Amino acid sequence: MVNLLKLKKAHLKKFLNKLKNEHKLYVPVKTDLVRFEEYKGDIYLKENSYFPIKEFFFKKEETLFDYNKNKISVPEKESEKRIFFGVRRCDLNAIKHQDMIFIEKFNDPYYKKERENSILIGYHCNTAPSEFCFCGSMDLKDCQDLMFFDKGSYFLVEISSKKGSSLIKKHKEFFKNTDKKITTKKIPNTDILHTKDISNLYNNPDWKKASSMCLSCSACTALCPTCYCHSIHDEGNVHNLNKGKRKRTWSSCQLKEFTKVAGGHVFREKREDRFKHRIYHQLEYFKERYGVNLCTGCGRCISGCPTRINWLKLVNEMKK
Amino acid sequence: MNKLLPKPSKVIDFQRETFDNFTITLDAKMKHEPGQFVQVSLLGFGEAPISIASHSDKYIKLNIHEVGNVTNALAKLKKGDKVFIKGPYGKGYPMKKLKGNDIIIIGGGCGVAPLKGVIDYIGQNRSNYNNVMLFLGFRTPDDILFNKELKKWRKDYHVNVSVDKDPKKTCYDFNVGFITEMLEKTDLNNNNKVVFLCGPPIMINKVIEILKNKGFNDNQMFVSNERLMFCGIGMCCHCMIRGKLTCLDGPVFRYDEINKYEND
Ligand code: SF4
Ligand code: SF4
Repeated sequence: MVNLLKLKKAHLKKFLNKLKNEHKLYVPVKTDLVRFEEYKGDIYLKENSYFPIKEFFFKKEETLFDYNKNKISVPEKESEKRIFFGVRRCDLNAIKHQDMIFIEKFNDPYYKKERENSILIGYHCNTAPSEFCFCGSMDLKDCQDLMFFDKGSYFLVEISSKKGSSLIKKHKEFFKNTDKKITTKKIPNTDILHTKDISNLYNNPDWKKASSMCLSCSACTALCPTCYCHSIHDEGNVHNLNKGKRKRTWSSCQLKEFTKVAGGHVFREKREDRFKHRIYHQLEYFKERYGVNLCTGCGRCISGCPTRINWLKLVNEMKK
Repeated sequence: MNKLLPKPSKVIDFQRETFDNFTITLDAKMKHEPGQFVQVSLLGFGEAPISIASHSDKYIKLNIHEVGNVTNALAKLKKGDKVFIKGPYGKGYPMKKLKGNDIIIIGGGCGVAPLKGVIDYIGQNRSNYNNVMLFLGFRTPDDILFNKELKKWRKDYHVNVSVDKDPKKTCYDFNVGFITEMLEKTDLNNNNKVVFLCGPPIMINKVIEILKNKGFNDNQMFVSNERLMFCGIGMCCHCMIRGKLTCLDGPVFRYDEINKYEND
């Protein structure tokens, strides 16, 4: 099977309409912000989405089980057939990293259900959509089902997985063979983090410059496509306290509560330590365990930070 | 298998230790190492990590300090009640590797609970270890844990119990003063010795300083750490100490594995 095909841009919407018949189709749409929403005819590909698609799989809030007195039952959950079209390289890799955690390592049934029947169609950036993009510094892999390369009046479509291949087969009327080639997958100007190895920078005094601007608002972790830290708590039913749910919710290492034990002691009390923890988890700690950086260089933790703490610049300028 | 679902377990004994501390025995049969912990939950209140304060494959004992929502609720349990548990989790004390050593056990307050599991283990495997010394510190005589067991420990081991203060002047078989003072006064060298430590961070730091002055190396000391944790299996990340996960790589760490990590 050929792995590169051509799709005329004029045919994109027809193709998407076809996909919509059999799947829930999510695409980036510009409303107040660029977000992934169900496809209704509009699509916006000029910027990356403000929120990553993480929340479709690793839910902000997940019911682990319902309880009634001393009985536990796991709620039934449908695995929806979904397609996400227009996902950028950084965010595809972020999903890959979440798969490594939730599926490959922990075989988490809740996350798996959400991922099972989802197809990821990438949209390759010709230029960096934001000045803070640094995916080119982060050793990313191909981990989509199909990848769309924007060539002006047409797309070159790369088939990257079996799922992608069968989707194309089903809709072959839209695609033409081509003798064109993808010459480079490099996205210009995205290698702006000079070193990923920050192991000998932990005691550098310059971290204070960053943490002194930090408000501990946790926007960075909420916007990050890879952050996976979470809390678990019980939520009783106010009408009958014998009943309730145990829930898993996103949490943030930027908040003091993150390391607060019963009795009140906070282990990462200092803001600087919390700030560093985030960056080190992204660049070092995850790699020690899983073999890759957690961060995929999307830049959201900088562009979405209310004080725009540019930790890339900071790390680049740190003297070893 | 869904790793986040706890299993029911029955309370077969409830023993009050002090006004804010108690021990429950659960009919859970599990193989475990001394120093490991379980996640205990009461549905509606949530989960708490509690170290196993016994060594048996027929039951587990959990010594619990009433400091938060979950533990306050657990304090109301009665014989026959149900709780939910997950585990055992974590890495305990490498008892097999430490055969032939003298063992010094130093615990402060509710930090004595995880050490109780080790003491039970040593009792069952006494010939594998040489001298055993216990240094146990509590706030007042009313806070002393495991009074019943202490009587037996005093017969079998070299036991030092100290209380920070003794307002009612009931002092007879314990010292008044900080445990660190006791330790400082004791004549100790580091020959064939290992130290097991658990207690509040300030005490741990001071004890380590004293032991180092006496010639102990970082790799002779084992510290049992407390951290906030939810999943118990390395997924939620609350218990990270730099790159280490307390729930997987700990809770017992050899001190040279974590000695550089002050603020985590
Ligand atoms: S978004 Fe910026 S200010 Fe907010 S916690 Fe993150 S680094 Fe700090
Ligand atoms: S750490 Fe920042 S740049 Fe890296 S993936 Fe998360 S949000 Fe994007």
